[in-house]
Order: sequence, then structure tokens, then C-alpha cells
Amino acid sequence: MSATIFKHEFLMRLKSVIIWSISISALMFLFFSIYPGFAADTADLNQLMENFPPELRAAFGLNTMDLSSVVGYFGFLFIFVQVCLAVQASNYGFGLVSIEENELTADFLLTKPVSRAQVITSKFLAALTSLTVTNAVLWGITFLSIEMFREGRTYDAATVVLVLSSVILFQLFYFCVGLVVSLLVKRVRSVTPYSLGLAFGTYVLSAFSGIFEDVKLELITPFKHFDPAYMIQNGSYDTSLVLLNVAITLISLAVSYWLYTRRDIPAVS
Amino acid sequence: MNIFFREIKANLKSLIIWSAVMILLIMIAVAKFSAFAGNPEMLNVLDAMPQGLIDAMNLRAFNLTTINGFYGIMFIYFGLMGGIAAAMWGSDSITKEERDKTVEFSLVLPVSRSRVITAKALAALVNCIAFVLITWGVSNVAVQSYAPDQAFYDFLNLEMAAMLILEVLFLAIGLLLGCSMKRYKVAGTTAVAIILVTYFMSIYAGMSENLDFLKYFTPFKYFDAGAMYRTGQLEGIYLVITAGIVVVCVAAAYWAYNKRDLYI
Repeated sequence: MSATIFKHEFLMRLKSVIIWSISISALMFLFFSIYPGFAADTADLNQLMENFPPELRAAFGLNTMDLSSVVGYFGFLFIFVQVCLAVQASNYGFGLVSIEENELTADFLLTKPVSRAQVITSKFLAALTSLTVTNAVLWGITFLSIEMFREGRTYDAATVVLVLSSVILFQLFYFCVGLVVSLLVKRVRSVTPYSLGLAFGTYVLSAFSGIFEDVKLELITPFKHFDPAYMIQNGSYDTSLVLLNVAITLISLAVSYWLYTRRDIPAVS
Repeated sequence: MNIFFREIKANLKSLIIWSAVMILLIMIAVAKFSAFAGNPEMLNVLDAMPQGLIDAMNLRAFNLTTINGFYGIMFIYFGLMGGIAAAMWGSDSITKEERDKTVEFSLVLPVSRSRVITAKALAALVNCIAFVLITWGVSNVAVQSYAPDQAFYDFLNLEMAAMLILEVLFLAIGLLLGCSMKRYKVAGTTAVAIILVTYFMSIYAGMSENLDFLKYFTPFKYFDAGAMYRTGQLEGIYLVITAGIVVVCVAAAYWAYNKRDLYI
């Protein structure tokens, strides 16, 4: 761990972290601002829904979400927050070490008297700190929005905490998978297509999984590993899926270390 | 012409990857649809639903047990994927020259900057058309086992037309970003921001009647699959808005690129 690299990496990403934090806060705040009107409408709607068979409700993802309750509404919009978090985390993951090669600064960095393991550790910790800052802002704005717009409706704070606690694992998944993919390919020319592909690809897969049951897409998309509907309904994580998620994250991280310490770095010619 | 062919070749890999993802998506979706197809219980349930509920859930006229209704739902994902791909192609084809430090080389060739953009934009447009054609072709093959009727083919053609228009719109926006942003990294970031913001806005706009005016600001709302299904055509006002945005973006892109300082 090198303090210099850590500081440089953190400051370099600071602007991006601030923009992402503001965007996610705005998203949360705007969606919650129409909650009071929405809750009144959906209370009737939910009564109607009760009369329909469970298959139908499952088809529209309504079986588990009571959109008129604070927690149910939070779970519904949390999916959109997850999309943002996924794009941000994969951006950082894909760019973590590939950016040095693109900007032709890799040979400069690697001739410093620090080992490659130290380089990647410092970079990893700096990115982790950046993600945690966003995460902390998310916690703050969530409770602020809920308090501002719940209009006296009660909610179960423990469930909200449970859902928010999953964020760090969710971020790490995209970060580590992005990192390992960026090391597996020969060269990442541009980070954006990769991170958009990963984030939206997994999002679309999970959306399909919601419309039609029974295909085993749950296994490969973190949106299902940390499905807010499941967490809210059961008040706990789906342990096996979360373990799978953590396993993929750890393997990706370990492989990244292994690959990076052995990587051929193209120098400026 | 040389630039055009060079670009087509350079974009080919990206097109293949996007098409593979699209084919996978359609195959998974159709496999899932088989559980729904012709299930009469679902049909009764949907028929019995009150109009207000159908509107609120944005189900509109969709009957999910038929292939037509099912493809109505699919359109959201076609539009989203097409939009992302086109915005990336648009901005990337311009910015990659600066990123890969080849911009001095390409701009000292004896062609004007305008012609460079024209060639690149046309190559990206060919990619967009190819992407739509692949989606169309795979869809046609994938649904054969459900014996689709003529109405399905009409609806599919309409959806594909809407997808292409959406792609052209995002392509124009991407092109403008690539040409006008000072640093290549900013262009990509801004493209992501525009896609995320407009996508969330399209969901946000559907949630409350007071927010209905937002539908003019998000391309994902311009071509509503439900409306297309009911009326059998694209809405004129949105075609005009789209054409306006495309013309303005492309014109601004040429203007900006012709007087741009290169980032080297």
C-alpha cells in the first residue's frame, strides 16, 4: 500500500464520485417526491391486485412489492439506483489499471520503487474508498427522502438498512468483474462500452427474469443476487445467491492480482 | 470512400458483439414466452382487469399470451439496446482517433474534415441499419414456432422502424458529443449520462399524470409500443421532434468539428 498512489487515485476520481453521488441523490429524491400522490393511488390498486391470481402478480413483479408502503416503494426505485451504482462501479473497475496503458503512463508508474501488488492494492483501496463515499451519500439521501415524503406513514427501518447494506457487495461485484475482464482482454480501448454492456446487460437479464419466471437467470445477474423485492419480502438475503456473488467477486479479485503481477505492459515506442 | 470502408471494418467487432447479445436476449425471451403462450387462464385474467389498472401498469393493450403482446413488451429492451449501441458508435467513431493518437494522421489526409465526419457517420449508420436487420431477422426466425399472423409481421416491421429511428436519434447525439467535447473521455461520460437520464425519465414520466409533459424530453417515450400496436403507425409529432433533433445535432457536429482544436 502506497499512500502516494492512494491519494493520487482518490483525488483523480473525486470529481466523478461527486457527480455520481449528486445524480443518485437526485434520482432518489425526485422519485420519492411523487411518492405521496402515488401511494394514495396504489392503495386502491393494491386492493384490486389482491383479487388476481398470484401468477399474474408475479408476472409484473407485484407479488412482493406493495408500492403504497414506504419500504415497497423504496424497493421499487432501488432497482434504478442499482443500475447507476452498477455503471459507476464497472466504470472504476474497467478503468482501474487499463487507464494507465491507454494514457501511456503505465511504464512511468511501474518503474517506481513499489511492487505491482502494492500498486494494485493502493489503487483498489482508493477505488473502494470512492465507492464507499457514494454509498454513504446514498444512505444519507435515502433516509432524508423517506423522512421528508413519508407523511406520517410508518416503515420498517431495519429492512431499509438491510437493503442498503447490500450496496457495498453489489458495487464490489461490478468493480472486481470489471477489473478482471480488463486484465483478461489485450487492451481496453474505451471503458464506457464495456461498463455499459456489463451493467445494462445484467439489468436487462434480471428484468426478463421478472416478467417470466423459471429460467435460471438469477444465477448470473447481481440484480437478482440482491433483489430488493426478495430482501423486503423475507427480511433477509437469499443466502446462497449472496454467497455465489461474494465467491465470484473474490475469485475475480484474486485472478486480477495474479494477472496484473504477470502482465505484459506495452511501453511507449 | 477509403475512410468509410476503414470505419466499417473497425466497427465490425463491436457490431458482432452487440448482435450476439441481441440474439441471446431474443432467444432467452422467446424461451420464457413459451410458458405464457396460449395460457387461457392468463387471458381471462387480463380481460377482467379494469382499465385504470391496465393504464397504471403500462400494460395498455398488451395481451401477454399472444406473440404480438409479448413483442410489445420486448420493444422497450430493443429501444434501450439500440439507443446505447448507437450513441456509443456515434461518439466513439470520432473520439477514438484522439484516444488512439491517430487523429493527426487522419486529418492530414487530403480530405476535408467535413468529409471525414460524413464517412464516419455513414459507416455508423450502416452499423445501425445492420443491427436492426439482425434483430428483425432473428425475431422472424425465433417466433416461427408460434405461427404468427400477418398482424404480427406488420407490428414487428413498425417496431423495427421505430428502433431504427431511435438509433438514428442517439447516433446524431453521440456524433455531436464526439465532435464538440474537448476531451474524448468527457464525450463518453456525457453519452452515458444522457442515456441514463432519459431512460429514468421515461419511467418517471409514466408514474404520474402531472409529469406527462416530460414525455417530450425522453426519446424512449417517443415511440410507445402500446400506441404503435393500437394505431398501427408512428406518431407524427414525435417524428417531427426526432427529425428536428437529428438535423440540429448533425449540423452542430459538422460546425463544431470543423473549427475544433485537437486534443493531442
